[in-house]
Amino acid sequence: MKQEISVLMDGELFEDEAGSLLNRIEHGSELHRDWEIYHLIGDVLRQPDHIHSDLSAKVRERMRDEPTVLAPRVHAVKQKMRTFALSAAASLSAVGVVAWMSMQISPEAAPNMAMQQNVARPVNVKIQPKSNDYLMAHQEFSPSTDMNGGASYIRTVSYRPDEK
Amino acid sequence: MVVLHTSALFLTGQMKNNTQKISAMRVSAAFCGLLLAAVNVCAGEQPVGLGWLKVVAFAGHNTDYSGIFVYQYDNRVETSRITHVVEPDGEYEKLESLDGPRHEIIRHHGQVWCCINHKMVQMDSQHQQMGSRFTDLPPEQLSELSTIYQAKETGIERVAGYNTQAILFQPRDRLRYAHKIWVHADSGLLLKASVLGDKNQVVEQYAFTQLQIGGSIDRSWVGAKDSAGHGAGLPVSPVTGRGGTAINSGWVVDALPAGFKKTWEILRPMRGKHAPVIQIVFSDGLSAISIFIEPNDEDEDDAEGWSSRGAVNLYHKIMGNQLITVVGEVPPRTLMQVFNSIHYSGAID
Repeated sequence: MKQEISVLMDGELFEDEAGSLLNRIEHGSELHRDWEIYHLIGDVLRQPDHIHSDLSAKVRERMRDEPTVLAPRVHAVKQKMRTFALSAAASLSAVGVVAWMSMQISPEAAPNMAMQQNVARPVNVKIQPKSNDYLMAHQEFSPSTDMNGGASYIRTVSYRPDEK
Repeated sequence: MVVLHTSALFLTGQMKNNTQKISAMRVSAAFCGLLLAAVNVCAGEQPVGLGWLKVVAFAGHNTDYSGIFVYQYDNRVETSRITHVVEPDGEYEKLESLDGPRHEIIRHHGQVWCCINHKMVQMDSQHQQMGSRFTDLPPEQLSELSTIYQAKETGIERVAGYNTQAILFQPRDRLRYAHKIWVHADSGLLLKASVLGDKNQVVEQYAFTQLQIGGSIDRSWVGAKDSAGHGAGLPVSPVTGRGGTAINSGWVVDALPAGFKKTWEILRPMRGKHAPVIQIVFSDGLSAISIFIEPNDEDEDDAEGWSSRGAVNLYHKIMGNQLITVVGEVPPRTLMQVFNSIHYSGAID
């Protein structure tokens, strides 16, 4: 099943298969969690600088919700021990999550994700005027032409002052 | 009720202006009104975003309008004028840039003319013989679109002085952009369109700043003149040998994102190319990816490269004896995924 989700995320499932799998993901909390974690892994691999999931905050929050043990002074040491044990458990579980996450990447899925990570990004290179004919040939068949009408053809002629 | 009322107004306006095409316009305007009415009826109960796509496409093809819009991309803003009229022999559309060097594009019947070096030149367009319309999409394909994008009406907003309905199409994966459209509530025309990235940033945006719908619109350029106003007529290229032919090239893509289907595969001429070029087009309904495969003619300055303009990304690379170019209004990672899975599976024909 995990393999299937990974294949789905790579966009390699057939339409009907993807549809039924998405349905199952929507209704099964286990699958839904897998789905989320896979996306998180993908995000980490692609953009490690922009991860919003703050694990430590969640751990802290859970710790705060733990019941406070009110007990006589004699048990102070035990209490300390308990706090220590709790935080150790939290750290362990954090390590566990990371380990578990890495175990979840099946050997087949891993290369694909690694590949995505290496995608070169066309950040600032503007399409050269000599490529305009490709844009125009593409625009003819793009649904945006039907939606925006001729306005989307502006893409094929847009110019920049630095273009010659 | 509002809709029917404005359709009637629209009709009256049309009758005054052009008696020749009253009947055609009456039918289309009435149909448009019906479509809108249908959309409005179910607006209360369920998301009807996908129905708007048909309305927009229909109105765009069947309405006379003229206006000025801005195109915003890559931290740039460009202003252009667009004029669209429906004549007995079909639609005419003119797009003129208002900033920088003069650019002009005229479209009629699927044919495209561009102003190149102050002369109108016909491009090698293929659409006339192929023909494809959003309005013709069967309902099952529309519902399929809803498995890829989640459509949501996000409220009434004002654009260019008109009230519009805003609709957001949020993709269910990260392999495509989100699209947001603002549709004029009365005419069904698209007044604004944004393409959004996965952090909700605007990748590119069109928006009308001024728009005239119906009424008297300049038609002096229709089928007659070049940009300088000389009555040279739109030059028609010799038809022979120019059209593309549908083929089965044997090139296949293994890792298409979900929902992308092959819509065209043709062998077509392209300006400035000695040999015909294979073009394969895949679409998910809102965006498209084209793959061009041609013999490597050693003209290329660089063997490999990325470039982009607004939502459109382009990647080309020489592989063996072929130059392969992928173009599409999808994120770079999607284009790369497609490019990496292109291979030749052997000629089938």
